[in-house]
Amino acid sequence: MTQSLVVFDKVEKRFADFTAVKPTSFEIAQGEFLAIMGPSGCGKTTTLRMLAGLEAPTGGEIRFEGKVMNDVKPHERDTPMVWQSLALFPFLNARENVEFGLKMRGMEAATRKKKALDWLDRLGIGQFAERNVAKLSGGQRQRVALARALVTEPKILLLDEPLSALDAHLVIRMQSVLTKLQKELGITFVYVTHSQSEAFAMADRVIIMAQGEIAQIGKAKDIYRAPANKFVAEFVGRNNIFEGTVKANTSGSVQVETRLGTFVVPTAAASTARTGDPLSFVVAADLVQVSTKKPAAENVVECQLLSEQFMGTTVTLFLEAADGSEIKVQIGQRELETIDLTHGGRLYASWPSSRAHVLAG
Amino acid sequence: MAEGQRRDFYAWFWRAPLLVWQLLFFVVPLAFMFVMSFWLVKNYRMTPAFAFDNWAKMLGWNIFWSSYAYTMALAVAATILASVLAFPAAYGLAFRVTDTTRRWALFFLIIPFFTSYLVRVYAWQVVLAGNGVISAMLGWVGLGPISLLNTPIGTLVGYLTLSFPLVVILQTISLASIDKTLIEAAHNMGCSPLRTVFSVIIPAAKVGLIVAGLFCFILSFGDFVSPYYLGGSKPPTLSIMIVDSTKSGQQWPRAAVIAVVMILSLLAIAFTAVKFAYRRRG
Repeated sequence: MTQSLVVFDKVEKRFADFTAVKPTSFEIAQGEFLAIMGPSGCGKTTTLRMLAGLEAPTGGEIRFEGKVMNDVKPHERDTPMVWQSLALFPFLNARENVEFGLKMRGMEAATRKKKALDWLDRLGIGQFAERNVAKLSGGQRQRVALARALVTEPKILLLDEPLSALDAHLVIRMQSVLTKLQKELGITFVYVTHSQSEAFAMADRVIIMAQGEIAQIGKAKDIYRAPANKFVAEFVGRNNIFEGTVKANTSGSVQVETRLGTFVVPTAAASTARTGDPLSFVVAADLVQVSTKKPAAENVVECQLLSEQFMGTTVTLFLEAADGSEIKVQIGQRELETIDLTHGGRLYASWPSSRAHVLAG
Repeated sequence: MAEGQRRDFYAWFWRAPLLVWQLLFFVVPLAFMFVMSFWLVKNYRMTPAFAFDNWAKMLGWNIFWSSYAYTMALAVAATILASVLAFPAAYGLAFRVTDTTRRWALFFLIIPFFTSYLVRVYAWQVVLAGNGVISAMLGWVGLGPISLLNTPIGTLVGYLTLSFPLVVILQTISLASIDKTLIEAAHNMGCSPLRTVFSVIIPAAKVGLIVAGLFCFILSFGDFVSPYYLGGSKPPTLSIMIVDSTKSGQQWPRAAVIAVVMILSLLAIAFTAVKFAYRRRG
């Protein structure tokens, strides 16, 4: 990690009757694309707003380039934000909206007009510069909001669920616009979202928050493959979670007894587990194999096929195990064709022990 | 088709009372007044005619135009005063207090309308007169006695009595309905709180602020009570001139001319103001 641009040092935000953010520490690197993700009410937006100075922390310190920001007024910071509602000024046209921040900095009219037009061109909406923002489409307004925030050449850009109001196909387009911009400008993006696909598709690192705390922080791949706890495993979705107790911990393997039978998990992660300890592990849906014949391997669950869900070239099978619990399997379309599937038919889900990830706590 | 016809019938059925009312008590009297402005008065009796005598007399009379200018100036002054004085109050009520406090404040702002405007104006006589409250207080610091009664200031106080609470209410409602994220966005882009008032809050609430001012203007421009009881009728406003015309020599047609000029002026100003309020660029 290069030098930290932003440091959250035990930052806390209490309101009169609840704590939005419990003492939280993390750092944001120069030039990083960080996503903060979590269910609504988890404190992600409050965290972002504290960075912009729109909420004052009730504890801890926020440092920006080493300088303590707690008492710096919002208008004295250079932390522009793209809002969920975009918050474009309805009484200004597209160009005047983009010029706003430059005007506040006292830039001369001709210079700021040129800069604003350059940015609108860069984002491909130059021809709408003199148009009323109410007459622009959702995607065009989005670009005006982006241009307005970036025109002052900040070191950091804050984005609060900026794509949540757009149509699905526009979301994908804007994602690539955003990642491309971030690479080109080399500035830090902090992106708050509840959407896993947005966070995982764009961010270098993801913070998952739950109830005002960081549940996990790391690269998307790590969060997906190695969730830190049950909350993350459930939030990320495509995981099968198994809870049980340790049956035996021998040098080669740890055996876990669950309601679905006994499974083997990698020793390294559970080396301290003793017989009788509770232990949970997850197996990602795309790491589970299915077959109609019972495979001669460890970690096999007999199931019935309940339903399937197609998403592009992959399909998610929803299986029901003997005790009624659900097992999700994600396989490719091509692979699906090789399996003889009937609803209610018997299937075997299996996975190599090395694919199981033991949850902490 | 039958369905549509029936819907039309119901629509007209419910519209009819309002249309009839407006026709009988607004359009017809207005038209009659307009017609009357062309009548003549002979031996203190009105005779129907179609003569431009009244129009020529009034529009060619310097005193009419100075009265017009005076009335306009007072109404404009009241509008500016009310809008400027109401704004800090409305700003506070819209942004600095809880929803409950705002509701109570709006309720209290309606209470002045419970008492007759005339009664409130009489109360001001006691305050403004030469031996009144303000003069006495100035006396304590060695000033005065000074009477604000029968001065343009007296008239303005009366105009504000009539319209100020309404202006505060209308401004508060329009400021409170501004999207708060616009204000945060302004701060976020380096706009200081004071500058935000002029760069974002006033433009965003423009329609409501203009309508509030327009109400003050309309109420003041046509008011008779304040210029008569607090302004002392000198110089006369147009409304006083109307009363004077009817009293002296039964000059109803001349009064009608003044009334028509006032209505046309108000129409033009209201139309221009609303057009300006909703003007959008791009």
